[in-house]
Amino acid sequence: MKVFIDPPNSMILFDLVERFGHEPLSTMAALQERVDNIEIDMPPMNVTLDDVVKGLKYAGIEVPSGIRGRLAVWGPLIDQADAAIIMDGAPFAFGCIGCERSNLMVKYLIQRRQIPVVTVEYPETEEQGKLAVAKIRDFLKGLENKTEVD
Amino acid sequence: MSEERETRLLMISPSSHITPDQLTRTIHTIGKRVAVKETCYGCLVEGPSATVREIRDEVRKLDPNGIFSKIRAYPCGDPRRCRAQHGTRPGFAQLETEWKALTYIEAGLDASDRGEKVQEIPAKKQLPVTEFKKICEVD
Repeated sequence: MKVFIDPPNSMILFDLVERFGHEPLSTMAALQERVDNIEIDMPPMNVTLDDVVKGLKYAGIEVPSGIRGRLAVWGPLIDQADAAIIMDGAPFAFGCIGCERSNLMVKYLIQRRQIPVVTVEYPETEEQGKLAVAKIRDFLKGLENKTEVD
Repeated sequence: MSEERETRLLMISPSSHITPDQLTRTIHTIGKRVAVKETCYGCLVEGPSATVREIRDEVRKLDPNGIFSKIRAYPCGDPRRCRAQHGTRPGFAQLETEWKALTYIEAGLDASDRGEKVQEIPAKKQLPVTEFKKICEVD
């Protein structure tokens, strides 16, 4: 199943989703397509006109362009997702730095899709690490069972 | 995801006994046609998607819960990102923060392999004003 990770550039979440046998949806894969196929200077800093239009689907015209630009990349990933993992309480350098509003919009879009979601706390001790891994493992194994039932 | 090219970043947990040099040499000995670049945190591997994933699985045997990986959008040595060519590294702050947490994730994976049961940690409560006052007041 396709699992959206938030922060979408997190290595920890990307790695855990792959380890437990699912496909992570991340910023890196979305940007790789832009790096390989579109001749723009430096994605994601530079965007195409199509990106701006795509962003309008997820955030209104009055929303700052930075948020629209981010959502142009993340929005289509959320649309494809069958499930999502959110990591909360992380230090400010964790995830895409710069805009808490974009992060809130991402959480809102995930909630609006009504897909299975698990929220874990950023681990700062060994006990928290064990809890985070256990929660993610149980969630991803639960998704396998759900697919079998469907 | 592009099936043609995959650039994968392999990062070693701070508590692992593996070094970036060992990791790179192991990938070279596997003998697949991929580009490998040793870095301070581990290495970058670039090649066809299926081969890179094969290498990831092979390399993980060195330390199953101590080697982590994710894909990277830009190719190895891209002048827009490579430090040697004065490129920017906007993702480095993120990598540094994650590197610090890898020990805890590794402990979590080890506990998961052992089948250890994990207890829910009670959430931290806010300090009541009365107690805070007691701490602040000097007798």
